[in-house]
Amino acid sequence: MSPELIVGIVLGAATTLYLLFGGADFGAGIWEINTAFQSNEKERKLLYHAIGPVWEANHIWLIFVLVVLFAAFPLAFQALCSAFIIPAFLVLVGIVFRGAGYVFRAYSIDSGRQQQFWRTLFAGASAAAPFFLGAIAGTLASGDSKINAAGVYEGNYLTDWITPMALFTAFFTVGLCCYLAAVFLTREAEHSGEVELTLVWRQRALATGIWMGVLAAVGLVFVSLEAPELAHGFATRAWPLVALSAICGTGSLLLLLWRKYTPAAACTMLAAANIIWGWGIAQYPVIAPPFLTLADSKAPDSVLWAMIGAVAAGAVILGPSLALLFYLFKLTPSDSADY
Amino acid sequence: MHGARHLTVGHLMMLLADSANLLPARLQMAFTLGFHIIFACIGMGLPILIVLAEWLSLRNGDPVWRTLAKRWSKGFAVLFAVGAVSGTVLSFELGLLWPEFMGKFGPVVGLPFTLEGFAFFTEGIFVGIYLYGWNRLAPFHHWLCGLPIALAGTMSAWFVVTTNSFMNCPQGFQLDADGKLLDVQPWTAMLNPATGAQTTHMIVAAYMVTGFLVASFYAWEILRGRNGLYQRRALTLGVLLGGFFALVQGPVGHWAGHVVAVTQPIKLAAMEGQWETETYAPLRIGGIPDPETKTTPYAIEIPGMLSVLAYDNPAAEVQGLNAFPEDLHPPTPIVHVAFQIMVGIGTLLIFIGLWSGYLLKWGKSAWHERRWWLLTLLASGPLTVLAMEAGWTVTEVGRQPWIVQGFLRTKDAVTQAPGVWFIFAVTMSIYLVLTVGCISVLRILAKQPMPEDADVA
Repeated sequence: MSPELIVGIVLGAATTLYLLFGGADFGAGIWEINTAFQSNEKERKLLYHAIGPVWEANHIWLIFVLVVLFAAFPLAFQALCSAFIIPAFLVLVGIVFRGAGYVFRAYSIDSGRQQQFWRTLFAGASAAAPFFLGAIAGTLASGDSKINAAGVYEGNYLTDWITPMALFTAFFTVGLCCYLAAVFLTREAEHSGEVELTLVWRQRALATGIWMGVLAAVGLVFVSLEAPELAHGFATRAWPLVALSAICGTGSLLLLLWRKYTPAAACTMLAAANIIWGWGIAQYPVIAPPFLTLADSKAPDSVLWAMIGAVAAGAVILGPSLALLFYLFKLTPSDSADY
Repeated sequence: MHGARHLTVGHLMMLLADSANLLPARLQMAFTLGFHIIFACIGMGLPILIVLAEWLSLRNGDPVWRTLAKRWSKGFAVLFAVGAVSGTVLSFELGLLWPEFMGKFGPVVGLPFTLEGFAFFTEGIFVGIYLYGWNRLAPFHHWLCGLPIALAGTMSAWFVVTTNSFMNCPQGFQLDADGKLLDVQPWTAMLNPATGAQTTHMIVAAYMVTGFLVASFYAWEILRGRNGLYQRRALTLGVLLGGFFALVQGPVGHWAGHVVAVTQPIKLAAMEGQWETETYAPLRIGGIPDPETKTTPYAIEIPGMLSVLAYDNPAAEVQGLNAFPEDLHPPTPIVHVAFQIMVGIGTLLIFIGLWSGYLLKWGKSAWHERRWWLLTLLASGPLTVLAMEAGWTVTEVGRQPWIVQGFLRTKDAVTQAPGVWFIFAVTMSIYLVLTVGCISVLRILAKQPMPEDADVA
């Protein structure tokens, strides 16, 4: 296997984990907009309790993706940075205020309006970050990024990233984050023995899930109209993954109906993960569509092999640490606030 | 004095003429790095204090130590999060503001960044476990989970600073005729001659910043009459950390200076305001270099001392700025003055450390009678931060006009995208919100009542 393919797979895996876990944290923040109107303290507690211990770790997948991208595929990174300077900056603003808003809210205990302000900021920023990340993904997927085969950006910085496909994927990503969060929160509510809350979240998850199913179907039509290259990749190579994603998505809805929340969460994760892998395989070996490939934009092989070594060594520490974190906070039932 | 100001204006004009984006991009980078580095320092040092306090509480079951560890860990959660998001800004900014730099040298510095990613990851994971695990883990296991935070924080600093040392002392690659990278050896690039001294200098500085900031905060509390066991112990831990590493920083700083002399003679010349190449070069204390007359007036000169400091030999020849073409000179007044500030404060901190050690060990007076000492400590925190920022000014401004010494000029690395001033303005307002939020939340945390069992009288 060529080193650029190995690093490409690592990138894909990290992106997937960011979508699943970081995305769910964003989703929880977006739900906060909703719960703000209802001001149910118990509900809010579940939500913050769910993301509190893990959001820092989940957030780091994005940094990992960025670092690996610029180290292993510098040309692609340079081109993407030039093409998406505006949406990337907006993502950044969202990420900064989501993280800061979260801790400021969590620790500005009993301060009334101030806490309310941070909560609002947290919720708004949680929606902004996946929205603009989704927009970047959409413009890339549609092949309209205006990055040429030499990795030079030839478009208008200000407006060219706003395409119909970008708008669609932006909303789709936000919806996906909401769905992931709703399913995870249903499971966590059941885990902490909150019968009433479990039903509330189950209902939210079902409603969001049905909408996401409709959006996904529309999305496939959208791809075939707006992104013919990607549609071709889907039809010829990536169709098993697209099919698997559809099956898992439907399965997650049924499992929610049957109140099997842990399998439902697993199915939701598979459905979301297969979108990333379906996209990746459909456009392989291109990294920055329409032209720039992994091989064209890669760093020298000596660098790639050193990175693969570093990733392998790092995984030995990271794997058990992550396992401990998730074992402690996601697999062991809890009853009270820990902080 | 007039000459110096004239140069600064002239220099700004030059920057503007070079590229419209260069000035806002550099200002933004300087500002965001300068902001992040304070939080990064606390992120390295505070876990050590927390782990120490928790260990003391485990050893003798003293609830005050436990309260200290618990309350510090909440403050740490806020500071760590601000450090994490401001660090994320930097990782985006490298690409957004300096695409040529990342496109060209990204592969060479990718290895330390990847390793840093893992260190930061480990830190983030154990921060989650530590903060939320007080009731979920056995006390000893909880304490153990604090150790990786302290270790990983220091490791990430080490990896990130190797990237900066590479920019100062690039090696481990070849460029072909078109300027494309050939034969990259990432480990050689990471372990360059500047790495050891620069990383050590920074890590020691981070511990000093944390220690003196903690001492500073509790000195303020005690001065305001909150003279409890809790505050006194907190101050003691802080001043011990800061004071000890202030002593360590003496020889480490000397080492760092020697490495600069060998690897970046022009930076050393700018730091010292040394224009002529000479043997028995003097050490200048104070003074303002004047690029017009190529002299450094108003300085106290100690003959031969610079030669000794740089090469351990008074007869050693030190290269002056005049030995280099003028377009390679960094803005000398800024570099020299920043260097004076760093060294001046560093020396002061050594004395503060010794004084504190003496008072804590042999002092007979009651704490509230040590007013001058407390006032000095109150100033020590902000001063340490100032010294650290001045140090980064020396290393960054002293490398100009290069972004990668000898290979890539800063003006050639900057983005061509429009609107960099606008992005700078937005960034400034975001950081203003972050600063205000962070301070107000820390104030709320500090005002939380002490638990019953912690004797605060």
